[in-house]
Amino acid sequence: MHLPEIDKFAHLKSPLHSWDPRVKIISISILILSVVLLKDLRVTFLGLGLAITLVFLSKIPFSFVFVHLRWVLFFIVALFVILSLTVPGSTLVGLSFLGVSREGFELSLLISLRAISAVLLIFPMLGTTRFDLSLKALQKIKVPDKLIQLLMFTYRYIFLFLDEQKRIFTAATSRGWVRKTNLSTLKTMGNLVGMLLVRSFDRTERIRDAMLSRGYSGRLKTLDDLTLCWKDFFKGALVVTGALMPHLLGWMG
Amino acid sequence: MSTIIKVRNLEYVYPDGTKALKGVDLDVFKEESVGLIGPNGAGKSTLLLHLNGILKAGRGSVEVLGMKVKERNIIKVRQRVAIVFQEPDDQLFMPTVFDDVAFGPINLGYPEEKVRVSVKEALKGVRMESYEKRCSHHLSFGEKKRISLATVLSMQPEILILDEPTSNLDPRARRHLIELLRSFTLTKIVAGHDLELILGICQRVVLLDEGRIVANGDARGVLSNKSLMESHGLELPLSLGA
Repeated sequence: MHLPEIDKFAHLKSPLHSWDPRVKIISISILILSVVLLKDLRVTFLGLGLAITLVFLSKIPFSFVFVHLRWVLFFIVALFVILSLTVPGSTLVGLSFLGVSREGFELSLLISLRAISAVLLIFPMLGTTRFDLSLKALQKIKVPDKLIQLLMFTYRYIFLFLDEQKRIFTAATSRGWVRKTNLSTLKTMGNLVGMLLVRSFDRTERIRDAMLSRGYSGRLKTLDDLTLCWKDFFKGALVVTGALMPHLLGWMG
Repeated sequence: MSTIIKVRNLEYVYPDGTKALKGVDLDVFKEESVGLIGPNGAGKSTLLLHLNGILKAGRGSVEVLGMKVKERNIIKVRQRVAIVFQEPDDQLFMPTVFDDVAFGPINLGYPEEKVRVSVKEALKGVRMESYEKRCSHHLSFGEKKRISLATVLSMQPEILILDEPTSNLDPRARRHLIELLRSFTLTKIVAGHDLELILGICQRVVLLDEGRIVANGDARGVLSNKSLMESHGLELPLSLGA
């Protein structure tokens, strides 16, 4: 079964892989924030260029990135169509009663470039470190413990959840159930999803017992091997400079 | 032999009203291996969960190594009484093997160096030294079972409780696990339906049914008593001429 592994290429070697995850997460988060705040369309292309450069440097295959980007592109296409046709302004292309406005087109392009750049930056940020180390880095930079536990358990149990889901649907199919677009299918789907949730809830109770029996008292405590050196800060400074540059260029016109 | 676990008149009722334990009395002695058998719903798992304070006694008492199992000494009790649950995916909840095996020692407040040593020794104990950095969800079922054992061995417990340790294991993985369990000298309580396993590693067997202990004695004696076993929904192990 295909499993959604963001850290599938964490074993590669690149300047981003050797970068301390704490500095990496902070620096690239600043870059993401910078990119999504850009207002000038030309400068936004620069932001996209930076994002592509980082993906390239990370050595994560672009094919892997595009596969995961397709869901974002799906929303972007919808956004393009809606904004281009609904934002008032000068007509760029007219087609009988429909008119694509220049302002609408530019706005959708701006939002799309920001969104694509931000999503692209997630790959060098989280795809170049094992997910457990990224979680430890988040812990070190004082992200709330509950959020980290939530992410950790989601990551650990998403695989089991998908397996369970597959088993339930296989069991239904083996007894002649066929997915159709009718009320009966919806009812069955509802029952199967409900059963999946009940089983997941049962599992959470068993996991809680296992955690308590090993001394868990509400806080997640782990050890880590994270070490910082000047190279990490140098890379961080480069990325933060890259994050500020488009804004400086924007102000300079 | 000194008594290491003392259960007296233990009763427990689940919130839905099910009476799971009805006046259980049990003594377990140091370094002995006790098998806990019984049909489904007999109360085996409920009894086990009382031994390290996951469930609180409704009535009666549980004493471990001279300590009453109470909220104030729960951490001490949990360090000494380790439970390995039936389903390894419930036991292995951390992203990596190292984090999972280190979870107990860290929560017990061991210093970092001692945690690392405990993890190494526990993994060595289950012959999985090279698995530290592996992700738990990528392990085979047999490997998960062994790592589950390591997650509690790292806490250096005095009593090891195993709930259905061989369920769903293939014959080779089962044999390896049995060899491993035999090599541990600490006090063991093994609950389950694998009667050959229980016969192989336990000196004494406790038969539980409908929340009551109905037999408690020498493993071979209890397991070979056909009428007793059959009257409680069980069968003789094959090696005893089932």
